[in-house]
Order: sequence, then C-alpha cells, then structure tokens
Amino acid sequence: MQQDLLENQLSREELQDLKNKRAGMFVFQLSWIMAFVSLVVVNWQLRFSPNWAPEGTQKADPILAAFATGALILSVVLVKRALNAIQQNNAQACFTQWLSAISLGALFVMIMVFEWLAIPSGTQYAQVFRLMTGFHVFHAVVIGGYLIYVYQNRHLYHAMNYWAVEAGAKLWYFVLIAWMLFYIVIYWV
Amino acid sequence: MATASYPLRGQYVEEVKRPKLSEYLRWSIDHKIIGVQYMVTSLFFFVIAGALAMLIRWELLTPQTDLMASGSSYNTLFSIHGTMMIFTWIVPMFAGFGNYLIPLQLGAKDMAFPWLNAFAFWLIPPAGLLLILGWFVGPAEAGWTSYPPLSTIFSPDGQTLWALSIHLLGLSSILGAINFIVTIKNMRPAGMGWFQMPLFTWAIFATSIIVVLATPFLAGALTLLILDRVAGTTFFDANNGGDVLLWQNIFWFYSHPAVYIMVLPGFGVLSEVLSVHSRKPIFGYRMIALSSMAIAIVGFTVWAHHMFTSLQPELRIPFMITSMIIAVPTGIKIFSWLGTIWGGKLRLNSAMLFALGFLSLFVIGGITGVMLASVPVDIHMHDTYFVVTHFHFVLYGGSVFGIYAGIYHWYPKITGRLLNERLGKLHFVLTYLGFLGTFLPMHILGMQGMPRRVAEYDPKFQDLNVLVSLSSFVLGISTFILLYNMVVSIYKGKKAGANPWRALTLEWQTTSPPPAYNFVGDPIPFEDPYGYGTEASKAYLDAMEARFGGKPLIVEQSTEPEQASGD
Repeated sequence: MQQDLLENQLSREELQDLKNKRAGMFVFQLSWIMAFVSLVVVNWQLRFSPNWAPEGTQKADPILAAFATGALILSVVLVKRALNAIQQNNAQACFTQWLSAISLGALFVMIMVFEWLAIPSGTQYAQVFRLMTGFHVFHAVVIGGYLIYVYQNRHLYHAMNYWAVEAGAKLWYFVLIAWMLFYIVIYWV
Repeated sequence: MATASYPLRGQYVEEVKRPKLSEYLRWSIDHKIIGVQYMVTSLFFFVIAGALAMLIRWELLTPQTDLMASGSSYNTLFSIHGTMMIFTWIVPMFAGFGNYLIPLQLGAKDMAFPWLNAFAFWLIPPAGLLLILGWFVGPAEAGWTSYPPLSTIFSPDGQTLWALSIHLLGLSSILGAINFIVTIKNMRPAGMGWFQMPLFTWAIFATSIIVVLATPFLAGALTLLILDRVAGTTFFDANNGGDVLLWQNIFWFYSHPAVYIMVLPGFGVLSEVLSVHSRKPIFGYRMIALSSMAIAIVGFTVWAHHMFTSLQPELRIPFMITSMIIAVPTGIKIFSWLGTIWGGKLRLNSAMLFALGFLSLFVIGGITGVMLASVPVDIHMHDTYFVVTHFHFVLYGGSVFGIYAGIYHWYPKITGRLLNERLGKLHFVLTYLGFLGTFLPMHILGMQGMPRRVAEYDPKFQDLNVLVSLSSFVLGISTFILLYNMVVSIYKGKKAGANPWRALTLEWQTTSPPPAYNFVGDPIPFEDPYGYGTEASKAYLDAMEARFGGKPLIVEQSTEPEQASGD
C-alpha cells in the first residue's frame, strides 16, 4: 500500500527512473552472482587435485563459520525490517535497526578475516578457501561501507525518497545469498 | 487501419545539426554520441588488428620464419590480433550499434542509465591502451584463449596487462548489457509489446542476457590468472595441485556463449536489412525472435566442444549432441531470412549486398561448425587451419559482414548523408572475393593437416598459402574503401532525408540525425515493424514523410514505377 502511495506521488519520469533502478539492480545481482558461481566451479574442480587436502590438513572451523553465518542472517533480517520501516516513514526505527545490522555485518567480517588468517597455507584447500572467503569479504566490506554511507546521510531519507536505503538493503541481501552459496560449498558439501 | 489516428499534422522539417567533432571527444551521456564513440573507437582497433593480420599473412608467404624475428614474436601477432578483433572490435562495435539504435527503435529519449552508459564506453580506450602497452614489457603470446601454462609460466609481463585489459573490457560489456536489458524491458512505448519489437532490439536483448550471465565467469578466470601470475598462487600449476583444465572450463563457459555475443547482433542487423530492402514482411518474426533466445540458452551447454581433445572421453558425446542442437535455432533463422527475400522486390544496394554476403558465408561457416562439433572430425581437425577458417567464416563472414551491412544501412540515420553506392559496391566485391580467396583454401590446408599458430610450415603447403596471403592483402585494402567512403560522405554524401529506405521501425520516424532527445513528442510505432507492402504501412510512411520532409529513395510500386536506388 505504501508502494502505491509512492507511485502516485512521483512524476512519470521519476517513476520510470525508479523502475529502471529496480530492474537494473536485479539484473546486476543476477549477473554478479555468476562470478561467485565461477568460484564454486573452481572449488569443485580443484577438489579432485592430489594436493587438495593431504592427511592432517587443518580445515577452517565450521562452528565459528556457523556463528558468522547466523550474524549475517540476523543482519539481513534487520536490514529488511529497516527497509519496511522507512517505507512507513519511520526513520527512527529504520536507522536503529540499520545500525544494528551494520554492527552484525562487522562481526561477520571480523570472524571471516580471522578464519582467513588462521588457516595454514600450503594446500589447494587453503588457497581456494582464501580465494573464496577473501572474494566474499571484499564484497561484504565494500557494500558494508555503502551501508555506513547511507547511515551517515540518514536525514535525507523518508517514505517518498528511500531508493538509497532500498539499494543498500538489496545489495546486503546479495551478500547473504552469495555467502550461503559459498558456506554450503565450503563447509557442508 | 489505424491510419486516421496518427497525430502527424503539421510539418516538421527543421534541419538538425550534427554534433560538433569536439563533442565526440568529451564525456557525454547522450546515447547517440556514445554510440558513435563506440563505433569509431572500435574501427580504430579494427585497423590495428587488421594490420596485425596482414603481418601474419606476410610471414606465412614462405615456409620459414623470415619476417618476424622468432616464433615468439609471431605468437604475439596472432594473440593480439585475435584479442583485439574480438574484444575491441566486434563486441564494442555492436555495442555501438545497440547504443545508437536501441533507444531510437524503442522511441525512448535515451538509455535507462545514461551515466553508466558513458562510463561503460570510457573503460574501452584505457583497456585498448593496456593491450598495446603490453608490447613494451614483453607482449602476451599465449593466443586469445591464453591457456595455462602458456599464459602463466611461459609468458612475459604483457600477459598480465592483457588480463587486466580483458577484465576492463568485460566490465564494460556487463555494464552495457545491464543497461540494454533494463532499457528494452522498461522503456518500450505504449503500443509496443514484446512481439512488436524490432528484431535488432530482440537480438541485443538476447545478447545482453548472455553477457550478464557469462561474462562474470571470464572475470573469475582472469582473476585466477592474474593471481597465479603476480601473487604466487598455484590454481593452474599442476606441480602444486593446480589444474590447467580449470582454466579451459571456466574460460570456455564464458567464451563459447561469447561467440553468440558476437554474432547475434549481426543476426539482428540482417533481419532489419533483409526485410527493409526486400520490401516484404519478415518471414517468421516470432521464430526469429525466439530462436535468438534459444541460441542464448543452448549456448551455455556447449562449451566443452572446445576441449574434445583434453576432456574425459565419456563427456564428449553429450557435448557433441548439444553442439549440434544449437544448429537448429540458427537454421530456423537462415530459412526465415530466405523466406523473407523469397519473392521480394530486392534492392541490391550495398547494405543488401553485404546482408546477402553474410547469409551465404555464414551458412558455410555454420556447416563447418557442425562438422567440427562431431567428435571424430574434431579430433582429426583440432588445431588445424580448418578451425581457423571455420571461425573466420562465422566472425568475418558473419559478424563483420553484418557490421558492414549495418553501417551502410544506418549511416544515413547517423550522419544525415548517404554513403557513396559506387564505392560501396566496389567495397563489397573486393571484400567478398578477397574473403573467399583468403578463407576457402584454408579448408584444404586444414584437412591436409597444416597446424594453426605456427610460423613455419611444411613447404608442400606453400602454393595455397601464397594464394591465401595475396587474397588477404586484397581483403585488407578493401577495408580502406569503406573508411574513405565513411569519411568523405560525411561532407560530400547526398542528403539522406529522414527515411531514405522507407523503413517502418521507429528510428527512421525522426530526422537524420535525430534531435537531442530523439523525438519531438511521443512517437507512435506502426503496429507491425515489418509490415511492408500493406496499404496501412504506406499510409503511415506517407504521413511520416509529409511530417519530416525529404525524398525517400524508394518509391512504393503502387504509386510510381521503381527508380534506381542511390544515384
């Protein structure tokens, strides 16, 4: 219903612009997830290499990773709630949750950086692990930086102008989707 | 039918000035400027890459290495030739056509994201520069496919620059493709559903889907290559548990769909040109549109046919089958085009000649493609000149002829002047004959076993190689006829008027060149973009002509007897 309100208030050009941005974001996400898929292929193919993980290789800690994943999921839930709040013009609630989401994201990044550093190098497993988590953390940090930027400009956004918040939220969903892909491949399969 | 309701009263004959030269050298977010920037930049790289091809053929005049200092410098020639032709000529050239034409064909003011559009273009000059700079640090010499370990341990620093350059070009085409998809999905005018879209727009849409889904794989592969080269990782190093096949899989998962990125827009150009210049509705509109999508989808399942000799044998047959299946949608297109020109009132101007040339050469290239898709033939022909001539038939005979047809067709829209027809026909004859002389004998050389990518060959192949080289020089020279024609016609060409070909798609329903925001008011598309030969289409075109002035070169048969085209 809020959506309709917004769409009634905008001019034809502004509405077109918003539709374009939403579609563009979707296509971008669809495209860029393929870069993550390509690294999954790397993982699957190099797994059969003789030097993948010789006897006694120390693997990454799955408990710690599960903890990080939980933090990220919670963070995405908060971002989603923040987006709903701004659509209802509740900036106060929006940015409280937004800030909590950023903190949880920072926790996720810290745990993954720790895992990245803790793993002993010298095997294909370690190399591919670092490639995948490094690639993901790089994205998490860049997009997290954007979330902080949105937080700093929080006075600008309200129910009639929240594209920047929506974009941040959607990019943060992307971080989660990409991570679930990697998490399953690295720790479970 | 709807003739009475076109709001076309009043004359609109104001002459639109062409943008100044300086506007093309600056950052601009006008899609028409960006389109021309793309085209001119890629023509520049086409000439450089073509010169490299001439050097390759010069070297191959004799069986020994004589022109080049060593085999390595010969490797560099064909590596940079292939890379430039693909990534800085064909792909950006079609992106240029897309940028110029898509908003016009959709009746839109600009692309969905004008700033992003400009940014995507401005990634190309630095990327091309990186490719050229490689020469000064020891150039890439692993071929455009850059298989490790050739591209890791055996290549100098230029290979790193090569990878960075392709990274930038890939990013550029992803950003461009996102823009195309959103523009086509969201910015169609009222009254234009998916199946009233011009077929060139359909082709760019299908191409863009391939680009957004496949190009990130290239980014992944190149990232690993750069890491292996500069950060000491061992993803492709078999001594340390790496796997060279990893590169082949990821690279071809991008690069096989990439051949459709290079040829689908050419198919789109062909659908426009053949229908307009045959004065007949296109045959099988839906089949042509949907077969583009089918090619885009099936294109993702065929990559390992490039690896028949390195793949696990049990995977060969599935990939052979998918590779042959992809000939079906392509065949649908070919027969639809034949159906389009069948019984049409063909107007054999330069655009049409190149389109027909495309049709004839692409069929040959397609058939050798099906031959190579068959495992036993491929094992025999692998890495011979048969492969070289196959992909030159589809990429030169297909894509480049498509580009030429597009240039002759849309140059009047872009510049407001017609290209010289006499020079155009000379260009066509020399290109067609030069092409056949260059690439037909290569089939024989390939079947006799002459390997590709080697500067020295068995002296028994020399006679045919001399023929190939001499023809290729004709082919090279013929390109300059087009370039000369394009430069001179800007000033000396005949005025084109708004719609010299009496075409029905929206890009022709405005002045040539179009004004700053393309259309004055909202343009009304004709109900069927290829409905030539009907009373309603004639009424529509007459109304548009009355609005924009200018004499079309084509006079409908029902009003006056046919006149010669051009001059």
